[in-house]
Amino acid sequence: MEIKKTALAGTLESSDVQIMVSQGTNGLEFDLVSDVAKQFGEQIQATIEDVFAAYDIHNAVIKVVDQGALDPVIKSRAITVCQRALDQVDQPRWEVL
Amino acid sequence: MLELFAGGQAVTLDQVLTNREWRSAVQQQLEADFPDQVVVAVKLNIAGPIKNSLKIRQVFMAGWQVIKQAAVNDSTTIKKVHVDEQRITGPEAFLVLDGKLKKWKQELLRFEEDFALGRLFDCDVMADSAKGYQLSRRELGLPPRRCLVCDEEAKICAKEGRHLLSAVQAASNQLYRDYFVTDLTLPAWSRDFVVDAAVAACLQEVALAPKPGLVDPISAGAHRDMTVMTFLDSAVALRPYFEKAFELGQGFSQADATGLLAALRPEGIKAEQAMYLATDGVNTHKGAIFTLGILIAAYGLATQDKRSTTLREVLNFVQKISANVLDDDLVSPTCIDQQEETAGHYQYRTYQLTGVRGEVAAGLPALAQVGLPTFRDRPGSVTNRLLDTLMALAGTIQDSTLIKRAKTPAIVQQMQDWVDEFFDLGGAETVTGQKYLTTLNQTMIEQNLSIGGAADYLILTIFIGRLSGLLS
Repeated sequence: MEIKKTALAGTLESSDVQIMVSQGTNGLEFDLVSDVAKQFGEQIQATIEDVFAAYDIHNAVIKVVDQGALDPVIKSRAITVCQRALDQVDQPRWEVL
Repeated sequence: MLELFAGGQAVTLDQVLTNREWRSAVQQQLEADFPDQVVVAVKLNIAGPIKNSLKIRQVFMAGWQVIKQAAVNDSTTIKKVHVDEQRITGPEAFLVLDGKLKKWKQELLRFEEDFALGRLFDCDVMADSAKGYQLSRRELGLPPRRCLVCDEEAKICAKEGRHLLSAVQAASNQLYRDYFVTDLTLPAWSRDFVVDAAVAACLQEVALAPKPGLVDPISAGAHRDMTVMTFLDSAVALRPYFEKAFELGQGFSQADATGLLAALRPEGIKAEQAMYLATDGVNTHKGAIFTLGILIAAYGLATQDKRSTTLREVLNFVQKISANVLDDDLVSPTCIDQQEETAGHYQYRTYQLTGVRGEVAAGLPALAQVGLPTFRDRPGSVTNRLLDTLMALAGTIQDSTLIKRAKTPAIVQQMQDWVDEFFDLGGAETVTGQKYLTTLNQTMIEQNLSIGGAADYLILTIFIGRLSGLLS
């Protein structure tokens, strides 16, 4: 699936994660900011990659600002940002949840 | 279920995430509306699906009061205050004030570190003029926030899911118990805050209705010579006395605490005169002048070092201050003029009841054992919880006003029976409980009965409730 527009989900509140997605051509390109990037950067990225795979998105620039979000929060924010980027806001893919 | 979460409603992840978006939007709006000011956002860190309950709100209000007072003490100009105590995702508050961003960041970080319940708070400080500016705990020389359960960094424990939710909830509950149950924590407040709490306690007591036998805005109870207005005049007239009582406690430096009562007595006599002048000769607050004055002085003494104290410590001082009061006033009184004998002296001579003097000499036992726990634990609105508290107190103490009116100590048993009936009906939160209070008021008017002693104890309960944050 192609990214239709740049999209944002989540906030900079503590225990949340903000994800911004824009068009890319070189696979999933991550830019991750997190206090716990050293310990959990890969895990955060993997969670987001799983959601993107479920939405069949293979090329995107993904900026992530993590404030210590737990996995279910990251997943939920990733789902929202994919729907917004694909203009699917009204057709949520609940099966991804 | 742990008491902290009792009565709370579970939320979904979706509600929590939507709430963060709401908060983020509110903050952005406040920053845009007040571009030159500092925006403070206050919320709680409560793990698990229940994020609001009666006791979670108590935690929140206790801390919120400390934060507000920091702004008052700093004479900061407050531009906007918004409190949303009932949000299902947890209580939240916003404060917009003048000042330096860095100073308020430090202030709030210190609050999170130093306030006994600070670990349960999450405060954010931001300003439109400093977008993206993040003052980290590390820059201020503070370690990262610690986990509630172990002493590791909180973010790491959460990420790794090191602890069961039940363990995190138990740790939060323990903080609640340490602050409100095991003993009651009382922060070191300014004189103005303490005096405001004392005057407000007198006002809230008389405003509470329907109180059986007592004066309230609906009924004057069994008191023909006064109305609610008399009490308002009296409460306001006592302000200088409350100030004096606090200052005497703060400045007291003798080894023998009974000297504090000796210093307080002439002020109490002046306060009685001020009361009689304000009420044109009616005794509205004589008991409260005695008990609340001693309690304020004891609190002043306990917070001389400007650090928080506990109710137990304050009541220990009450006992020490009043150590000689029974001997001096009742056992070996200097003047026995039957004409001028007070109800307290008469009841000691006739029934060996020690009355209000006995209460202070024992460290006001009904306050910590009945008044405050009842208010803390009863369900419902503040008004109904205060009515339950009044009734619980009336059913516990040997009320000298009641005994004086009834002319027999046997009335104490009758009062206990009434109180038991009231609680059997479910208390003030139920329709039948409310009806019972109104009916009991009629009965007490007919029999000329009043529970002035319980009313004084209610004033003390409200006063300490305000100092602890249980009541605001």
